[in-house]
Amino acid sequence: MRRLRPGAAAVLVGLLLGLSVANSFAASLTLTSQTFTPYRTCTLTATPATTTQVTDTTVRQGSATLNFGTLTALTVSSAASANQRVYLSFNLAACAPVIPSSAVVRLATLRLYMTAVPPAVCRTIDLFKATASWTETGVTWNSQPFGTAINNPVTGSRSASFAVGTQAGCQNTAAGYTSGATVTVDIASFVAGGSTNFGWMLRDDVEGSATTRTATFSAKELGSVAQEPQLVVTYVTVP
Amino acid sequence: MRLAAFWPRTIAVMLLAASTPVIGAAASVAVSSHTVGAAAVTVPRCTNAGLSVLQNLSAGTVVSVTVAGLPAACGGSTLQATVNNGTTSGSGSAVVPVGGGSVTVTLGIAPAVATADETDIVVVGP
Repeated sequence: MRRLRPGAAAVLVGLLLGLSVANSFAASLTLTSQTFTPYRTCTLTATPATTTQVTDTTVRQGSATLNFGTLTALTVSSAASANQRVYLSFNLAACAPVIPSSAVVRLATLRLYMTAVPPAVCRTIDLFKATASWTETGVTWNSQPFGTAINNPVTGSRSASFAVGTQAGCQNTAAGYTSGATVTVDIASFVAGGSTNFGWMLRDDVEGSATTRTATFSAKELGSVAQEPQLVVTYVTVP
Repeated sequence: MRLAAFWPRTIAVMLLAASTPVIGAAASVAVSSHTVGAAAVTVPRCTNAGLSVLQNLSAGTVVSVTVAGLPAACGGSTLQATVNNGTTSGSGSAVVPVGGGSVTVTLGIAPAVATADETDIVVVGP
């Protein structure tokens, strides 16, 4: 048998090591990861009845100089010279953590608990983004941000709507929480700072009805947790 | 040098070579490249839709959360929900039905309804 010179041994070691390194490059690692979808929801509820984070009131054409901010009911009514509107706002800053201005609002829903349903009809209730400030204990029909003219602003400028009435096929036919109004665009604008959050005004789509059409909802002042006005905002911080 | 004298060194080298693939199996290395670079990978969500999240109440507390608007792509995944009212936190999970739709998550602890409640929703999988 021939002798192996020390130099040749070193070469053999090098080859073997080199081969092994090449094998490691050829190796692979399987990385598995589950997908996940994070959402965050801020639910603002008008509770307790004394909270100032949610404000609601009714203004009445028939009592144009009076304020009804302490009543336990909110009323939307279409009637000859006796229309009623609701003003409602939620302080988004109450959300903890605060919704960041960079958040993407996926869905925002305003929910009201209906206690009296307009009989035998289906009425559309429109929401309009308030463009000026008002106070729960101060606003009246005469001082309301949208002025005293009925059917103003026009339907086309509404933010959202929902329908109520016992008529078959109507969106909300019975007492209880309504299916809600989708106000995603408005909330996204509030969050991003595109507009100031003065809340909304709710009115019947066609005010001045010869036959009085009234829908009644629970107000914050009722103090019933299960019936309070709610704003539910679902968002993501990483789109 | 005699081969007999070289034999222990050869055995050591062979052992080293044999052990190397084990190291390689644990590495994340591309087969066709000798360089390793950085990359950002976007993990797809099963939905970007606006999920409806409604609290179900009992005696002034949030006992469960119903999440609706889940698309079929989320079917079979696990939905975890946590409700936090600032002082109390309650969590639970439920499997999203195949085909999506809605799912109700019962909370282990029922937080009292507060002016502001935070609900975190995480859909894991499928």
